[in-house]
Amino acid sequence: MTEHPPHPSAPAATPTETALPIRVRGATEADLEPLVALMLRLKRLNEEFDPMLEVRPDAEARTREILRSELGNPRALLLAVEATGEEAGKVVGVVRATVRERPFYTPESEGVIQDIYLLPLYRRRRVGEYLLEEVARHLKERGAGILTAEFPTQNEIASRFYGKRGFRPVTALYARRL
Amino acid sequence: MARARRAGDPADGTPPSPAPEGADPAPATAGEAEQTERLGTRSVELARFYQGKVETVPKVPVRSLKDFSVWYTPGIAAVSRAIHEQPERSFELTGRWNTIAIVTDGSRVLGLGDIGPEAAMPVMEGKALLFKFLGGVDAIPLPLRVTSADELIDAVLRLAPAFGGVNLEDIASPKCFRVLEELQRRLPIPVWHDDQLGTAAATVAGLINALKVTDRDLRSSRTVLLGAGAANLVTARLLIALGHDPRRLSLVDQKGILEPERDDIDALALNHPWKYRLALQTRGAGRRGDAAAALAGADVLLAASTPDPDTVKPAWIRSMAPRPIVFALANPVPEIWPSRALEAGAAVVATGRSDFPNQVNNSLVFPAVFRGVLDARARSIPDEIVLAAARELADHAARHGLSAQHLLPTMDEHEVFPRVAARVATRSVELGLARRRLGYEEFLELARARMDRTHHLAAAMLRDGFTLPMPDEPIPPEEP
Repeated sequence: MTEHPPHPSAPAATPTETALPIRVRGATEADLEPLVALMLRLKRLNEEFDPMLEVRPDAEARTREILRSELGNPRALLLAVEATGEEAGKVVGVVRATVRERPFYTPESEGVIQDIYLLPLYRRRRVGEYLLEEVARHLKERGAGILTAEFPTQNEIASRFYGKRGFRPVTALYARRL
Repeated sequence: MARARRAGDPADGTPPSPAPEGADPAPATAGEAEQTERLGTRSVELARFYQGKVETVPKVPVRSLKDFSVWYTPGIAAVSRAIHEQPERSFELTGRWNTIAIVTDGSRVLGLGDIGPEAAMPVMEGKALLFKFLGGVDAIPLPLRVTSADELIDAVLRLAPAFGGVNLEDIASPKCFRVLEELQRRLPIPVWHDDQLGTAAATVAGLINALKVTDRDLRSSRTVLLGAGAANLVTARLLIALGHDPRRLSLVDQKGILEPERDDIDALALNHPWKYRLALQTRGAGRRGDAAAALAGADVLLAASTPDPDTVKPAWIRSMAPRPIVFALANPVPEIWPSRALEAGAAVVATGRSDFPNQVNNSLVFPAVFRGVLDARARSIPDEIVLAAARELADHAARHGLSAQHLLPTMDEHEVFPRVAARVATRSVELGLARRRLGYEEFLELARARMDRTHHLAAAMLRDGFTLPMPDEPIPPEEP
């Protein structure tokens, strides 16, 4: 398998230094397996919130394919969160976002936070807030005029997190089984 | 005399065990099965004979009905006015100072499961009897018909004005954690849940002495708690408060070692924050996997899990540090028989049973703790007070000679009750939680007096025929 070099417009693989127990950098091919594992943890957490979000049996293989394709896609933003303390170098979180066109509305370009996951030991301590600001910065650089976040409606922790930081519900996604 | 402590929740228990979920724990031998059966028959007979185990009796003289003009209206209005002006005076002008509620929703009664409030009543009456007999505490059994934790919390909040304390009993885990935390936060009186605090206090007391007997220091010991139910989760918290290094502590439930990257960690974060917090705090002592992985090289095993003598394997004990400490606390059957644990190299063994040395018995704790907090009119009962009780239990056993067979006081060492009470009361004063601030000796005298009074009262009632003597023969069923 060929190593994807980080895309030219992707955040540098050189990490941003912070006072937090983590740093954030653009993901590389080498991060693929830990990122797949983190993404699956997030999807299983979503499953806890809602049976409509039951994780499919081949989710792991599909996640791997998707992340691999996104590593080479300039519209996709895949960030690896790396520990700096005791577990320095370990990938402990993932941020997955993309830029989408809004064909009917203005601003025309939307930065969508699709997935944010951190291992339990790295939660709180303002890490989430820092990640949000980082991803907002990257998406703005790519032309996004509005920032959105997708998460299960039942996830009240996420609702509170985004609500406290100036987000509000805009579009609802209702579902029923067929 | 102490009620059998239960094994952990099936849901919170330990490694997969042959004991089917919800089934009665299998007694060890046919003899024990027979014994249990015989005691059950006797209990039903006596329940029918006595029809209740506690009653209220007047404690003021009534020379003639005229006296009711002070015991009741019109005189009593002045007492009500005094309390209305100063609500705290309810602790001085009524029996509130010595009265507690024994509250249950019947959701986890003994090993019987969710049998409902009516069926929980005999157990609550038994608890009330223990409270009175061992602590001189007037305890009112109050099984409540409630359906949720919020309803239970709400009901207890509304009952509180009548009581100097609340003892929660037989509430399923993890509901019991939130109910206790919420009530402790919101009520100005001590709230206790014996399955969490009583058992943990007795366990910690036994462990303090087991460490001494085996020449260990808590700070450098590695401890494995097998079973992550009400008792062990609180034991872990208390050990950390005592100075145990959290990173040398691990909890093991039926899914293995609790650690921050376990597959179900996010589910725990949502559904069982108490386990989640301990997973993060302990980090599984740096280990992953099953009980065997946790125990290799460990100094201490505290099992409060499945009542099956094959739960803990001798090989696990052989893999521990030399001369390890083994507590097998499931009831009625320990997780490993003491003889087998000793053969496998354990230096000391404790169980929940009175027929082996070192019974870890919450009946040593709750009557005395309540005697203490009631005598001090304490506002709450934080972990510092629970630890004070544990330390006194440990000290008391040590004063009577520590050995591998005597880690804890036995129920016959009567003096332990007022000692624990006085230590608890004194600690509430030190912590600024006491409405009544006396010295240790005064609290000790008060506790002794309250406890002696109950014993004399019970003897006098029996002597004068107000308590019927225990019938020896089987009692025939009543005519319909």
